Amino acid sequence: MKNDKPTAKVESGKKIDRVFRTVTRRKVLSGGIAATAVLAAPAFLHKTAKAATGPIKIGLPTVVTGGYAELGSHVIRTSKLVESMVNGSGGILGRQIEFVVADTQGNPAAAVRKTQELVERHGCHLITGVVVSSEARAIMPKLKEWDTLFVSHGNGDGRLTTPQFLVPNFFRANVSAPMGARALALYLKDDPAKEYIAIGSDYAWGQSSVKAFDEQISILGKKLVDKVMTPVGNKDYATYITKVMRSGAKGCYVALQGDEARAFYTQATQYGLAEKMPLYTEIVSQSNIKALGKSAAGLVGGSRYAYTQDTPQNKAFVQAFTKAHPGQLPDWTDGEIYQALAVLFAGMKKANSAEPDALVEALEDLEVTSIKGAIKIRKCDHQGMNPGIVVKVVDGPNGAVPEIVKIYSREVATPDCGKTTFS
Amino acid sequence: MDFLGFLITQCLNALSQASVLLFLACGLTLIFGIMRIINFAHGAIFMLGAYVGHTIVVLTGQFWLALIAAPLVVAGIGALFEMFLLSRLYARRDGGAYLMITFGLAIVLSEAVRLIWGAQPKGIDLPEVLTGVVFLLDQPFPIYRLFLIGLGVSASIALWQFLERTRTGLLIRAVSQNPEMVHALGTDIRIVRTGVFALGCGLAAFGGILATPLFGAYLAMGNNVVVDAFVIVIIGGMGSFLGSVIGSIMVGFVQVFGAYYFPSMALSLLYLLMLTVLIVRPGGLLGKEE
Amino acid sequence: MRARGLFILVIAAAAAAGFGMPHLLPGYLVNILTEALIFGLFAMSLDLMIGYTRLESFGHAAAYGLGAYASALLLLSFDIPMLIVIPMAAIITGVVAMPIAWVCTRSTGISFAMLTLAFAQLFYASVYQFKDFSGGSDGIAGIARRAGPFGIDFFQTKIGYFYLVLIILILSFLFCRSLVASPFGQVLAGIRENEVKTRTLGYNTRAYRMVIVVLAYAFGGLAGALYAPLAGFASPELFFWRMSGMVLIMVIIGGRGTLVGPILGGAVFLFLEHELSALPMVRELWPLIFGSIFIAVILFAPQGLWGLFRSWREKRRIGVVSKPQSDAPHAAS
Repeated sequence: MKNDKPTAKVESGKKIDRVFRTVTRRKVLSGGIAATAVLAAPAFLHKTAKAATGPIKIGLPTVVTGGYAELGSHVIRTSKLVESMVNGSGGILGRQIEFVVADTQGNPAAAVRKTQELVERHGCHLITGVVVSSEARAIMPKLKEWDTLFVSHGNGDGRLTTPQFLVPNFFRANVSAPMGARALALYLKDDPAKEYIAIGSDYAWGQSSVKAFDEQISILGKKLVDKVMTPVGNKDYATYITKVMRSGAKGCYVALQGDEARAFYTQATQYGLAEKMPLYTEIVSQSNIKALGKSAAGLVGGSRYAYTQDTPQNKAFVQAFTKAHPGQLPDWTDGEIYQALAVLFAGMKKANSAEPDALVEALEDLEVTSIKGAIKIRKCDHQGMNPGIVVKVVDGPNGAVPEIVKIYSREVATPDCGKTTFS
Repeated sequence: MDFLGFLITQCLNALSQASVLLFLACGLTLIFGIMRIINFAHGAIFMLGAYVGHTIVVLTGQFWLALIAAPLVVAGIGALFEMFLLSRLYARRDGGAYLMITFGLAIVLSEAVRLIWGAQPKGIDLPEVLTGVVFLLDQPFPIYRLFLIGLGVSASIALWQFLERTRTGLLIRAVSQNPEMVHALGTDIRIVRTGVFALGCGLAAFGGILATPLFGAYLAMGNNVVVDAFVIVIIGGMGSFLGSVIGSIMVGFVQVFGAYYFPSMALSLLYLLMLTVLIVRPGGLLGKEE
Repeated sequence: MRARGLFILVIAAAAAAGFGMPHLLPGYLVNILTEALIFGLFAMSLDLMIGYTRLESFGHAAAYGLGAYASALLLLSFDIPMLIVIPMAAIITGVVAMPIAWVCTRSTGISFAMLTLAFAQLFYASVYQFKDFSGGSDGIAGIARRAGPFGIDFFQTKIGYFYLVLIILILSFLFCRSLVASPFGQVLAGIRENEVKTRTLGYNTRAYRMVIVVLAYAFGGLAGALYAPLAGFASPELFFWRMSGMVLIMVIIGGRGTLVGPILGGAVFLFLEHELSALPMVRELWPLIFGSIFIAVILFAPQGLWGLFRSWREKRRIGVVSKPQSDAPHAAS
């Protein structure tokens, strides 16, 4: 890092530019290479220096095209909403905010490249909106080099806030996989059933969820008769559903997301699985409820965010959301990105700065009242202490609604510091 | 008794899975047989079929209509693509060119779908007759999957008869074996090519709409399915229709039983099967080596 | 003469561009440029198979992934300097490729393509299966560019790493170019044009094909080995069939059988993808434009971008010389 190591961290963006400019002139004189200048010119013009005035730029390296585009579209729509809300009421620290979107396509290689560009080309030293866990894992080790703060809104892998992966510039405002599993397991305490089966997607988040659920119910004296891990991108769940039905379990825990979850629920409904045993899921998502149609009713699950939650902040958010997007309801990603941004803004106010270093300090032990109630960002592992919400899908006059059946306190719902387990 | 019920259920699971793949694979192998084109865009066409079908269901409320109309619409798009773009490349006899143009088509189609239908996934409600389960030795089995199996079997027989018994079928087989000769005998092989490409696309689209009630229409739906279809076509022998039918059934059984008994190897089994077949018979089960 | 002049021009331009460029550019562009060169190397390695021996591989991602995982695991598990790890990873890839080459070269044409695909997908599946070793879907993160040997730490920096990649690319290019021009390369050309005839001339063509497959994998592995320390991680996607498709497209878009073309193709592919998706007015539309460009290139530039450039030069020459000459026996076929 000889050439681009900033001496003063806070002004690193400017420093880098200055170093480049002096080197450039010398090299041009000695090298005499006009052809390269032609190539370099267009990109050179875009370059913006990080400034303490002007808008606060927040990078969204999210999924615009490709398989996870739905989750990315939620990130973008709510960020845009927040942008207009905040800027309409005078901005933060007297500055406007501005989101810069980059398309990672859900691919970690592109995520690193795009995030680096957000940082160095567009001057975004604050990022959020990363959709896929593997993308987050690829970005995290680079944060220090980029002098950039990353607040997670949806990355669920429990290990991100353990010493194994945690880096100083990473914070997680959202509910992690073990937290979702914890709330659900606590809810099942009163369930007379003793034996469950788990089905999960065979990647970081799914594995993390199933492991946590297993640990949690064994504390309650219950057990998992089998763990069925399904390959990423699986579509036909017939053989797995047959396995679940034959397992003799009295309930099925589901750690599948997005397209996989939808495929599973649709097919499970066709086999009448829900009539044979109740289904419990770690994340109840709006789009799954919609896809399940009539068969959604009765589904019980953890919820990272439910639009039905009764807090004044949430009511205001849902109102603003439905006004901006008539006929649609905020999904969990909308709620979590909204909360992640609220955390970020609260940190800015506390630090009276939008610089990553000042923000790291301000975010540690930050208390903020968000749409989900009082959230605390722990200093010890940078995990946001969220309440543990359990919802049950019930039929309403306008379709199925995720009704909150239980909220566990944030102390109970959040794992021990730097761990994925609970005491 | 319980085990027998389980066995029957799993076999039916495998066959229903094979049925969806069958349409995709048949389209691929037909196109390859006639035109020596590996159609990279097949997954995107499968997806397009699902989305078009969804729209027809939304507009008319008719699943049955969608089942017929969606493949026709997509076949039409395929025919246009063949006539205006693909046909310009035939003179070059260059596999790479086909690969690249269909790769381009795949990207364009996928993104067109996203722009037209948006990122939100779509589902289809089945007509009343196709919902519910039947009990086979106390094991519940969805009626829709039985319908898929029935459709797969009848479509295979129909296509086979079409290729074997009709004049058009004879022509198609002739073109796949010796296009120059057919051309010399005075048949316009351009029409055969356009027709076969359209038929292949239509079959893929048919598979797409049949798959929608199982896993919905969404943007990545073609991604992995198309690799399965490739594997089938290769196992069966490129260009062999009967080979594709056998390949589909094999892949269906390997996936269903493999994932049940060796869950950690679920991903590898398919490719191990393909490698084994290719090592024993380099041209595939019923294909001839190029 | 002409070929030589062109060759020198290309090398000179590449060197000049390479050695001046990084200082002109902001950091993120240096990295993108580095990645573009790595893709160029990757595409060039595939060109050895496709362009010179007509072995159309559909699974070249296997080489890239193997190289990347080998260098990632070596860097993380042992205290070996990066400059030694990178060639080691390439050699490992070449060694792993030997049995693959043996199996795949039993076939030609489509069967060959599909066998290579099967191996690549098998590696992809194995990454998920042997999680403890490979990190499963998480991939391997936090790969450091370790300095040394002899305390050399220049190549650790962004710009230094760019130079490293550039030097390796140029050396690889020179090696491959002399390879295809050598008697060995002549036999390969013979195999490409008419394998049966070459065999009747007494050459063991299968052995030749095996050698070229192993070499292509080794160079592909070299590209992967360079990628892992650049990105700092390796993930199963590197083995996925879409990667194989992408590199194939890079070779075709650049121009098969030219070595230079695929390098150009790899770089153009990455730049186009990156720059298009970054343009604010087309952000949502960029893949549409990207796809259309492929269709346009294949319709209007059958020999790829390098072919387009060459025929343009050819035309200018014809303006001066009356009769077009057959191609000089340099890199292009």
